[in-house]
Formats: sequence, structure tokens, C-alpha cells
Amino acid sequence: MSQSTLNQPLSLSKTATEQGRRRRKIWPTIEAYLYLAPTLFGLLIFVFIPIFTSFHLSLHRIAPFGNVMRFVGFDNYRNLLTSPDYWDSVRITLLFVLGTVPTGIALAVVLAILLSYPLGKMAWFYRALIFVPVIISSAVAGVLFRWLYHPVVGYLNYWMVQLGLFENMQQAPNWLGSKEWALVAVIIATTWRQLGFNVIIALAGVQNIDESYYDAAKVDGAGVLQRIRHITLPLLSPTLFFLLIINIIYSFQAFGEIHILTQGGPGRATMTLVYNIFDTAFVGTPQRGIASAQAYLLAILVVIMSFINYAAANRRVHYQ
Amino acid sequence: MIATQTQRPRRRPHIHIQDIVVHLLLLGIGLLISLPIIIAFFTSFKIPSQIIVFPPEILPRQWTFENYIVAWNVNPFGRFLLNSTIQSGIITLAQVIFSIMAAYAFAILDFPGRNGLFYLVIGSLMVPFELVFIPNYQLVSALGWGDTYMGLTAPFLVSAFGVFLLRQFFLTVPKDFHDAARIDGCGNWRYLWTVLVPLSKGSIGAFAIFAFLSAWNQYLWPLIITSKVEMRTLQIGIRYFMSTLDRGADWGPVMAGSVIAILPALLVFLFAQKQLVRGIAMTGLKG
Repeated sequence: MSQSTLNQPLSLSKTATEQGRRRRKIWPTIEAYLYLAPTLFGLLIFVFIPIFTSFHLSLHRIAPFGNVMRFVGFDNYRNLLTSPDYWDSVRITLLFVLGTVPTGIALAVVLAILLSYPLGKMAWFYRALIFVPVIISSAVAGVLFRWLYHPVVGYLNYWMVQLGLFENMQQAPNWLGSKEWALVAVIIATTWRQLGFNVIIALAGVQNIDESYYDAAKVDGAGVLQRIRHITLPLLSPTLFFLLIINIIYSFQAFGEIHILTQGGPGRATMTLVYNIFDTAFVGTPQRGIASAQAYLLAILVVIMSFINYAAANRRVHYQ
Repeated sequence: MIATQTQRPRRRPHIHIQDIVVHLLLLGIGLLISLPIIIAFFTSFKIPSQIIVFPPEILPRQWTFENYIVAWNVNPFGRFLLNSTIQSGIITLAQVIFSIMAAYAFAILDFPGRNGLFYLVIGSLMVPFELVFIPNYQLVSALGWGDTYMGLTAPFLVSAFGVFLLRQFFLTVPKDFHDAARIDGCGNWRYLWTVLVPLSKGSIGAFAIFAFLSAWNQYLWPLIITSKVEMRTLQIGIRYFMSTLDRGADWGPVMAGSVIAILPALLVFLFAQKQLVRGIAMTGLKG
């Protein structure tokens, strides 16, 4: 476009050229914005404006009945940050992240290394079996594990007894009913659902490693484990870092499993930060001002994580 | 590859112990990982008395469709299925069309503010849903869209992820095509839908799969924006069977409901595994 404008014959009078140029410039701009309109409008209404509305809400206390909003400044934040319950949620969320993320990544790497082995015709079958949780919803994952955790006829306890981990069904964990096990139960279900995604990413990372490194190592007489330790894992580190950040973000946001399995309980044993937001805003007396303050505090954490990820991704690109 | 692969052109079939170990490990772990789904599948075909039997058995002794019939009749399961289909259908279609249009503008057209707007769109990917769902709930409720398809879908009709993904692909299509089309008097709109879109079928398909899966599997939003039973989606509907909680007899229909809820996603997974996996690996996102 701009080139053809530049190459126009000079004989044209100046005003005519300028008029033509302007007309030609305005229509493409309008056209482009028409193409963008639905996306920009949708994001504006459902993402960008709510960022501000949410903050506005978080500075108010909203009377449970009617729509009376009272400005309270940063009181909601102050109350949260001095509330033992809130810090308990922070603690539970951290335990949840610690429970899901390292195990999930470690399992994914092991499976990715196994799957990168030349498997011939069976490859697609193993992949299907291992990737499949990626399509399972959080709700269904919750339901499936609720069934496995069944205290009387549950498969999980039965197998654990069979394996000799517990003497009998009575001594096996009451997964969802006890404060000690409920969080573990939620962690297992979430890790399982996340695993398919993690293996897919890890496998892509493993397959990206140049074959020549392994060939060189073989010439030097390195065994399989040595090759994994000195080649695969170091070269996989950008992938591992990406998995770490993205898994922390996903873990912060886990909701469906908790809603199906424990609803934040027993007591507050699985009241993670996200579940706490839902619980405050939609269960019992809705307190959307306080819930918005909780959402803001959580979002700050998530955005920091995203920024780290983004910055690291940029650096990775530059170093390649 | 990590494992030994040195003698690739093997003459005689030579089985290494290492091969067997890897295959057995993968089979074992693979079955273990899909076990929750396999158990749900078999349980859904068991007769009620076998479901609560101890010790638990994996295979049905006697196959029956009873649980599916109960699931279908006790709760408006057909309605849940219809709701999920309409909700995911609208979201997928809208996201695909709007993302194609926006991606075209960002990739091909030249206009003031292009870079700034693009960063804004990408930036929206960083905003967690938890931050915006309360205002969205208030807005959608205030518009009277609670318990409607409009309310179920409105916040998800556009996708920054889709715009990003398709823009990346459109950028790889030679610009000569566009210039040639322009010279032939083909406008942007026609060029986009008759040339670029058919050329990008693969990427658009991959994105449509993402959009469908994430819409189909949605939980938090349908949970809060619907309250009438007949407007619930499948994912929320499964819970209705669990209202009597651990009284074992209800687990048959619960598992039947879960299998129905898994099925469309599973079909997509089995038929488009390659595209789905490539999409995830390329973008590092679940959609």
C-alpha cells in the first residue's frame, strides 16, 4: 500500500495526491477495526472493564440484601491480611501447589523419556493411554476420584490393603471425610488430570533435543542413565521451567475437583484461595466485596507468575 | 532418542530385554493412568447390586444399559446434553469466526495502533478468570441473562488465544497471495474466506478442537450463571446424582453420566490426537 503511494508519478498535483492518500488510508483503517471489533469489544466488556470493576468492588462492602454499597477503602484487604482463616487458605494453597506441581512434573518427565523410546507401532497406543486425562474436565475428574475414594467399596483403599499398605479397610484413609487426607485426595485427582498436558509438553521438549548430543555421548561410552542425567535433563531445563510456572498457575486456579470432592472441607481443610473466593462470593451470604479483594490478591500472584514465564520465554528465544 | 538405537537397520528381528522392559512399563503406567476412566466405563454397565460389591470388581459380570436409562430418566439428562452441545457449539463457532477475523487484521492489514492493540489482546491472556468472574456474573445477571444460552456463552465468544494462534499461522502464508488477489480485484473479505481460510484449515481445525474442549469442560461459569435444572450443562448435571452422596446405589447412573460427559471429548481426542497434541506442544496452552 504505502509503496504504491510513494511510487506515484510526481506530475500529480499535491492536493490531489494528499486527498487520495488520505482516502486510501482511512478506509483500510476502518476496515481493520471492523475485523477487530468483535474481539476487542468482547475483551473490553468481559476482561478489561471487569479488571477495574473488580477493584472497585473490592473497596466496598455490599449489604447482603439490596444493593447498598458502602465504601470501605482498603478495609477488605486489611481484614483479609489479618485474618487467620485467610492465611490458612494461603497455607493450604501452598501445600496444594507443593503437592501437585513437583510430582506432576517429575512423572511427566519420566513418562516423556519412556515415550521417546522407539516404540514402533505401539507408540500411539501408549500415548493415548497416557495423554487421555488432558480431555477430562475437572468435574468428571472429581466424580471419578470420588468413586475411587469411596470409604466402603472404594477401589483405592481395597488395593492399598491388598498391597499391604494398610491392615484392613477400617484403617485405610477416609479420603474425603478426614482433615488429614482430604487435601491429599484433592491433590491426587488434580495431579492426575494435569498429567496428560504435562507429558505432552515434556515429550515435545525431549523430542526437540538434537540427536547428535546423544550420539556424541554414546561414542564417549555414556550409559542410558548418564545420558538422561547429563544431556536430557539439562537441555530440558527451559521446558521444565515452563512446566513449573504454568503448573503453579493452574494449581492456583484448581476449582472443579475441589467443588465435587470436598467443597473446601472438611472444616476448611481444602479451602484453597480460589475455592475461598467462590465460597465467599456465592455460598451462603454472598460477600462480593470481600471476594473481589481475595480475587485481586490471587490475581496479583498469578500475574507475577505469568510475567516471569513471559520474560523467561523471551530470554529463551534470544539465547537460541 | 535416549535409548539405544544404534543398530537401526537390523537384519534379523532381535529382541532386547530393554525393549521389553520399556514396553511393559509404558503399558503398566498407561493402564494405571487411564484406570479411573476404564473403571467408570465398566461401572456404568454393571447391575446395581454388583456396583457396591466388596471386594470391588473391575469387569461387569452382566452387562446392562440400566444405568444409562436411569440417568436419562431421573434427571433431564437429554436436556443437559442439549445444553452442553448448544453452549459449546456457540462458543466454538463464535471463537473461530471472530478469531479468524481479528487474526487477519493483525497479520495482514496495516493500520495505526496495530502493535499496541495486539499486545493488549495478548496481555488479556494473563488476566486470570478468577479476577473477572464476579463482575461478569453481575453484568450478565443484570442483563437478565442468567439461565439463558446467552448468559452461558457471552463471556467466551472471543478468544485472545485463538487470535494469537491464527495470527501466527496467517503470517506464514506468503504475502504474494494477498497482493495477487488484490490485483485481481479481490477484496479483503473475499480473500480471507476464499483463499486464506481454506489454506489454514489445519490450524483453524486445531484451534476449533481447543475451543470445543475447553467450552465442553467448563465448570465454574456454568455453575454460577445457571440455577434452573433445565439450564444446567452436563458437567454440572453429573452432580445431581451425587446429592444422595455415597449411598452406593446411585453410582451407576453417576458413572453413566460421566461416560456421556467424557464421550464427545474422547472422540475428538481419538480422531484428532495428532492435531491436539501438536497444538498443545506448539503453544504450551490448553486453550
